[in-house]
Amino acid sequence: MATAVGAGQSEWEVAVPEKPLKDKTYFENLKAKVIDTNLCSRCLTCAAICPGGITVVGNKVDFPDYETKCLDCGACVRVCPRFVYEPKSGLGDYIEFIAGRSKRFAGQDGAMVTELLVSAIEMGMIDRGLFAGRDEKWATEMFHVREPEQLAITTLGGTKYTFADVLPALKEAVMFTKRGVGIVGTPCIVSGVRKLQQEYPIFRDRVKLVVGLFCTENFHYDDITKFLQEKGVDFSKLVKTDIIKGKFISTMTDGKVKFKVAEAEDIIASGCNVCTDFTAVESDASVGSVGSEKGFSTVAVREENAKKVIEYIKEKGYADFGEADTSQLDFLIGHKKKREENIKGDR
Amino acid sequence: MKSMKKVVGPEYNLGEKIKTNVYAVGVAMQESVYPHTATVFYPRERKKMPDNFRGFILFDPDKCISCFNCSFVCPANAIRMKEAPNKRYYPTVDYGRCIFCHFCIDSCSGGALKATKIHDVAYKDMDEMFTPTEEMIELPEIIREDKKYVEYEIEEDDLHLKRTKGEDYLFVDVPPPIQIPMVSQCIDRASCIGCRVCEEMCESGAISSSAENGMLRMKIDTDKCTGCGLCVKECSMQILKLERK
Ligand SMILES: Cc1cc2nc3c(=O)[nH]c(=O)nc-3n(C[C@H](O)[C@H](O)[C@H](O)COP(=O)(O)OP(=O)(O)OC[C@H]3O[C@@H](n4cnc5c(N)ncnc54)[C@H](O)[C@@H]3O)c2cc1C
Ligand code: SF4
Ligand code: SF4
Ligand code: SF4
Repeated sequence: MATAVGAGQSEWEVAVPEKPLKDKTYFENLKAKVIDTNLCSRCLTCAAICPGGITVVGNKVDFPDYETKCLDCGACVRVCPRFVYEPKSGLGDYIEFIAGRSKRFAGQDGAMVTELLVSAIEMGMIDRGLFAGRDEKWATEMFHVREPEQLAITTLGGTKYTFADVLPALKEAVMFTKRGVGIVGTPCIVSGVRKLQQEYPIFRDRVKLVVGLFCTENFHYDDITKFLQEKGVDFSKLVKTDIIKGKFISTMTDGKVKFKVAEAEDIIASGCNVCTDFTAVESDASVGSVGSEKGFSTVAVREENAKKVIEYIKEKGYADFGEADTSQLDFLIGHKKKREENIKGDR
Repeated sequence: MKSMKKVVGPEYNLGEKIKTNVYAVGVAMQESVYPHTATVFYPRERKKMPDNFRGFILFDPDKCISCFNCSFVCPANAIRMKEAPNKRYYPTVDYGRCIFCHFCIDSCSGGALKATKIHDVAYKDMDEMFTPTEEMIELPEIIREDKKYVEYEIEEDDLHLKRTKGEDYLFVDVPPPIQIPMVSQCIDRASCIGCRVCEEMCESGAISSSAENGMLRMKIDTDKCTGCGLCVKECSMQILKLERK
C-alpha cells in the first residue's frame, strides 16, 4: 500500500461516465434515474464517494444545495449499484455452505459474523472491522473495531432492522487502514463495496473481507420505531429483534411482542421492494439464520479469503460447526426473485 | 576513597590584610555611588534580545495560503483560523495559551508568520489576550520608555552589563527559511474521482484539468507548484502526496 517516494505522477486521466440527461449535473442524473424512481437501496455508496455532500434527508438520499455544491465529477453515478441495475439472485457461487456457532461471542444467531471479523483481525488479514452498533434508541451507529476486547460493547452484534451508514464509514476506514478493512452489510451494501472496488484501486487494495447478510428487507428508522411503538414495544427495555418464519419478534426484558412481518409491508423501504438478492451473492462470505438449527448461523463461504478465516476459526476451536440445509433458503430466494417484476414496473 | 583534607584559609601577612580590606571598602563605596547590578531597569532599559528570540508573532496576509498548518501544529491550541472578509482563513493567536514555541512560524510554508523580539506580551485582562488577525499585521502599540538597551558581557570572570543609549530594534529580519522544494504528485491515478477539488484549492494555478472525448485530463505543473500541500490535504481520495522536487 505504501507508495515509494518518487512514484507519483503529474499527469493522469479519469474516465468520465455517461450522462443520460446531458445538461444536468450528475447528481440530478442520479436523482432522476435512481432516487426518484424508488430504485435507491439507501446503500450510501454514493454518499461514501461524494466529495460534495450527498446525505440522507428524512427517508431519502439527497444532496441539499447540490446546485452550488455538486462538483459534477460523476463519482456517484460511477459507483451507484442501481444506476445501471443488474439484479442478482439465487444462492450465488460458493465453496461451501456450513452452519456455525461461535463459542466466544454472542450475536443474533451463531455470532459467526462477529467471529469472522474478529478472527480476520487476529490473523492480521485486516486491522479493523466495521460493525453496525446501536444507541439506546436503536438507531444504528458505526464502530471501527480494532481489538477483540471492543466486543465487550454487547450491542455491536445482533441484527438492527434499520439502515446503517456502513459505506461512509468504510471510506473513512480505508483512508486510515494500514493492513486492510473488513466490513459486514446487507446485500445492497455488499454490491456497493464491489462497485467501489471495481472503480477505484484504493478500495480494491484495502477492503480485504466483505461479509454479507441474508436479507429480505429493511426499514427506515422513523418508520420502524413508530410502528413498533404502536405495537407496544418499549425501546428502553428492548434487547433483541428477530424475524423468524414470517414473524417479527421484539424481545424485551419483560416479555415479547410478536406480529406478522406482512403487517409491516407498507413500511418496507422502497429500495427493498426492487431488491432480488437474498444471500448477498457478491460477498466473500454471507451469513444468515435460515438453513441451520436455532443458535447457529448459516455461512455461505464464497471466496478463498473467507475460507482461510473459517479454517483459522476451526484450527483455533473458536466455533462449533455443523451442516447447513440450503433447501431451506429456497422459499426466501424465490420470494425475492419475484421482486424483479417491481423493477420493470418502476421503470 | 581518598582521605579528606582539611581546608586551610590563606595566610595573610599584615601588609596583605590591609590591602584586601582597603580594596573591600573601595568596592563598597563604589557600589553605593554607582551600583553594578546584574538586573535591567525595565522598562527604562530593555535587554537586547538575540535575533532568534521567540516573542510576539507578526502575520503577513499576502503570504498566507490558508493551509492551517500553524493551527494544526500549535501544541498549546492557541491558534484559531478565522474567516476574514475576503473569505480566506487567517490565524489568530490567544496569548493566554501561546507558549512562544514558534512552531507555527517554523511550520508556515508561505513565510507569512514572523517572529519579533517583543517579549513583554502583557495584557490587562484575559479577553485582551486573544489577538485577532488585524492586530497581528503590525507591531502592537507598546509604550516605549526605554532609553537604553542592555547587553551582558563577560569580562575575564565577571559578568558586566553594557548599556548603550538608544532603542533596540524589535523586528527581526531573518532571511526566509531554506525550504526543501516539494511538489504535489498523484500516487494512485486510477483512484482519482475527478472532483477537481485540488484544482480549486491550488493558489498557484498549478493544477489544471481539461475534458476531451470522455476523459478528464488532470495535470500538475511541477514548475508552478510551490509544494504548499493544500491539495494534498483537501484531496477527497487522499491520493496526492508531496514529493521532493
Ligand atoms: C435488515 C436485515 C434483514 C435480515 N433478514 C434476514 C432474513 O430474512 N433471513 C435470514 O436468515 N437472515 C436475515 N438477516 C441476517 C440475520 O439477522 C443475522 O444478521 C445473521 O444471521 C448473522 O447473525 P450472526 O449471529 O452470525 O451475526 P452477529 O455476530 O450478531 O453480527 C451481526 C452483524 O451484523 C451487523 N448488522 C446488524 N444490523 C445491520 C444493519 N442493519 N446493516 C448492516 N449491518 C448490520 C452488525 O454489525 C453485526 O456485526 C437479516 C439481517 C439484517 C440486518
Ligand atoms: S459532487 Fe460528484 S459525487 Fe457528489 S453528487 Fe456531484 S457528481 Fe455526484
Ligand atoms: S442505490 Fe445506493 S448509491 Fe445509488 S443512489 Fe441509492 S444510496 Fe446512492
Ligand atoms: S482532489 Fe484528488 S480525487 Fe479530486 S481531482 Fe484532485 S486528485 Fe483527483
